Amino acid sequence: MKRKLITAIGVAAMLVSVAACGGDDGDSGDKAGADGYAGQTLTVWVMDGSSPDQWQKDVQAAFEKKTKAKVKFEIQQWNGIQQKLTTALSEENPPDVFEIGNTQTPAYAKTGGLADLADLKSSIGADWTESLNKSSIYDGKQYAAPWYFANRVVIYNKKVWADAGIKDTPKTRDEFYADLKQIGEKTKAEPIYLPGQNWYHFVGLTIGEGAELVKKDGDKYVSNLDDPKVAAAMETYKKFQALSKAPKDKDEATPQQAEVFAKGNVGAFIGMGWEAGTAIAANKKIESDIGYFTIPGATADKPEGVFLGGSNLAVAAGSKKQALANEFLKIALSDKYEGELAKLNGVIPNKESLQTNLTGNAVAEAAAPAAAGGGTTPLIPEWAAVENAPNPVKTYMTAVLNGKTPAEAAKQVESEFNKRLAQQQ
Amino acid sequence: MKRSLFSRIWPNATAVILFIGFVFPVYWMFATAFKPTGDIISENPVWFPTHITFDHFKTATGVDHFWTYVTNSLIVTVCAVVLSLAVALAGAFALARMRFKGRRGFIIGFMLAQMAPWEVMIIAMYMIVRDASMLNSLVPLTVFYMMMILPFTILTLRGFVAAVPKDLEEAAMVDGCTRAQAFRKVILPLLAPGLMSTSLFGFITAWNEFPLVLVLNKEAEAQTLPLWLSSFQTAFGDDWGATMAASSLFAVPILILFVFLQRRAVNGLTAGAVKG
Amino acid sequence: MTVQTERPPSGPVDVTKPDQRGPGEQRPASRAGALAPYLLLLPACAATVLLLGWPLLKDLLLSFQNLNMGQLIQHVTEWNGIENYKQALTGEDFWRVTGRSILFTAVNVVLTMLLGALVGLLLARLGKRMRVTLMVGLVLAWAMPVVAATTVYQWLFAQRFGVVNWVLDKLGWHSMADYSWTSSQLSTFFVVTVLIVWQSIPFVAINLYAATTTIPGELYEAAALDGAGAWKSFTTVTLPFLRPFLYATTFLEVIWIFKAFVQVFTINGGGPDRLTEILPVYAYIEGVGNQHYGMGAAIAVLTILILLAITAYYLRIVLKQEEDEL
Repeated sequence: MKRKLITAIGVAAMLVSVAACGGDDGDSGDKAGADGYAGQTLTVWVMDGSSPDQWQKDVQAAFEKKTKAKVKFEIQQWNGIQQKLTTALSEENPPDVFEIGNTQTPAYAKTGGLADLADLKSSIGADWTESLNKSSIYDGKQYAAPWYFANRVVIYNKKVWADAGIKDTPKTRDEFYADLKQIGEKTKAEPIYLPGQNWYHFVGLTIGEGAELVKKDGDKYVSNLDDPKVAAAMETYKKFQALSKAPKDKDEATPQQAEVFAKGNVGAFIGMGWEAGTAIAANKKIESDIGYFTIPGATADKPEGVFLGGSNLAVAAGSKKQALANEFLKIALSDKYEGELAKLNGVIPNKESLQTNLTGNAVAEAAAPAAAGGGTTPLIPEWAAVENAPNPVKTYMTAVLNGKTPAEAAKQVESEFNKRLAQQQ
Repeated sequence: MKRSLFSRIWPNATAVILFIGFVFPVYWMFATAFKPTGDIISENPVWFPTHITFDHFKTATGVDHFWTYVTNSLIVTVCAVVLSLAVALAGAFALARMRFKGRRGFIIGFMLAQMAPWEVMIIAMYMIVRDASMLNSLVPLTVFYMMMILPFTILTLRGFVAAVPKDLEEAAMVDGCTRAQAFRKVILPLLAPGLMSTSLFGFITAWNEFPLVLVLNKEAEAQTLPLWLSSFQTAFGDDWGATMAASSLFAVPILILFVFLQRRAVNGLTAGAVKG
Repeated sequence: MTVQTERPPSGPVDVTKPDQRGPGEQRPASRAGALAPYLLLLPACAATVLLLGWPLLKDLLLSFQNLNMGQLIQHVTEWNGIENYKQALTGEDFWRVTGRSILFTAVNVVLTMLLGALVGLLLARLGKRMRVTLMVGLVLAWAMPVVAATTVYQWLFAQRFGVVNWVLDKLGWHSMADYSWTSSQLSTFFVVTVLIVWQSIPFVAINLYAATTTIPGELYEAAALDGAGAWKSFTTVTLPFLRPFLYATTFLEVIWIFKAFVQVFTINGGGPDRLTEILPVYAYIEGVGNQHYGMGAAIAVLTILILLAITAYYLRIVLKQEEDEL
């Protein structure tokens, strides 16, 4: 009852603030005068690595030309982003537009911190791919705009594989394992760099097994890690992780796996296509050795399950530049720049019609076959709390890798997992 | 008294081992910072950097806004220390030299204040600063840092003031000085070492602080060096060369201050600590 | 002894001797003088109330609220009584963390004080050149900023290419060649403890050494005349002389180590499996990390109470001591 009331207050407050700032013809602070929006600066938070400099520059130029206002991109790290975003949204000057992970979107939509983008949806979003737009909708309202989506691929070092005498890329999980073993035996390189907590890859494996991470117990969600299908996914992870010297208790960002790979002494890693760019930035010489292939599944006809990661763009409800923010989104998400992003990063764009931009893109070609079988973490507001450090799924993974059985590990993290799912909002 | 060779040697031998133990981490930080990457990640440690390189320092200082962080850190730290010295000196003088009702209460109060676990109150502080519209500013940082070091400064300075012989002050007053003059001309010069050593600890605390600046100042223009240093591991992965170069740069100002003020600091602290 | 209180507490020391007063001073001046100590303390007190009291009060208020992402973003105040405290105090996590915190503080303080005192006494025994050398080493460790020192220790204890693992391997302990120090509770605490003790010893050692130099030589001579040996003169002269100093230093070390947030948090984020969380880290992870800010505030309040309980004994000693002083 109380919670409902709060939500109602929240929504009301949000509506007020949106109304106060106006739609396209809002108050003085946000009006397009004769000079357009000259003199104003829009702050946009984008995550590290998600949009190339080239794209930012092009969008900036187009935006300035159209609105006369400036746009300032601020690069954020994933690590600790939720706390930073929450506090920022509560401030007087929040970032006007920000990138937000698809799994985190429902929780923020519920807080009332995101502006309603119904107008944007009706003006440019008619043909957004429905499955990709799912995470942006909460309670029937459009709280964010789908931006890009991607799934992990195997990024490998062609030279290392050639040194090990491997000619072709693997088609099944067993072949993949055998190839990595061969690298370990025939070369001095580390076959695969797979830290113990690359949990998005693990989520992909559970999707491949058809497992769910949470289940409903009455009207609340509880941990489903004790499902044998989750255990099976974890066993697969463990088998491959054993080939890596990477720490069992760190994720792929500490250290950045692409930078480890860039040193040239690693056979492969499982990552997002753009991480190749990170590797190249760290070591120019690696560029010609990088190749990609789809993560092989149990059988050759079906690739491994993948986590369909993605980001939406949202507008802060507290932003005083609602109209300008909408202008920005119209440009950034326009076919031209959405297509450019897809092309540059090899990511899946928000419209099917833009997929042509991916032809000939090695990353996209490796990623596409798996995308169809991709999935996400549960799209429920309760989920965001699970991802806060220390993430119980990561804890579960490390526990198994350090010798516990999956059942024991599931039991170990169960109470923490459930506590977070049940956390009062 | 005759001493065996053994009993003459062991203190020195122990001292040498201890010296190595204490210096090694500091040495290793500098050594790593100057070594080329190949020597850093090598199967056998390279104990002495033979091919000195400054690349890591270039990486560390090449970060956007580096000089802004340096300036901000210096401004915040110096202001916090100076402010707290001024405020504390007045209080310490009263506590050490005057007798008044509630004196004990004040002392206990400052000792309690010294125990404040600032890290756990971050959100409360954040909300206060946010609601005062003072985010992304150096002012709240400065005053909060001032407060973090104030109790220690007062209690330590009290020891120093008490250590100045009363006769000197009284003599000056007999000679016709007012109390304020006596303070300025006689006590203050004698307090100089005390002020320096206390300021050293304030300097370290303020220079180091990062949980607060992390939540208060999201804009790079208002951030300080600890954030720069702590972000290194995400930004530079396992690039230990750059990370150690950054650590070295961060530590150097404090190390230099210490070398200059060490002797005084030590003597002074004893006076302060015993009294405190 | 030149300021007179309006109603001096009893006792002969309080009587102001008129002859000590400057010739120009008159009675009214001394009445103003009675206010002087309060005026002098005013800035410090104002700062404390404003900058410490206010956040404390705010924290206390927050601890009775349900404050999560939504409420923070919307600036909504949602009181929920003692719910946070009830949850914290009835859950086993809090008590486990409290126990761990106390044990952690005790172990580190004992190690620091013991080793620090030994090093301090060693300093007193050394020749001048050796003493200065060791002092330089101590000062370097002492002066390392915590953030930098913590980073350096991560590198020393790094799983790959960390110099500690290399040394252990060469010493014949081959299983340590690729050992991950952050993989278990004990090894994480080991690294944190080495770091903290390494940084804390210099303070204790150097101060203790400085304190021993102030012991009047006559005391030892007198003890020697009484036929006391080295040990006896240590226990009858050195130790009693150093006692107030030891109390004060222990107090400082207790509060510094109890609050060792940066070291514990940076080395392993309270992991693995939240097994190395001490109270300040726990408060941070539950509050800020988990975005359960009201809960974090409640744990913060409890943390402060526990720290007060731990140091109560020392504060009582100080109270007594102050009665005798001046």
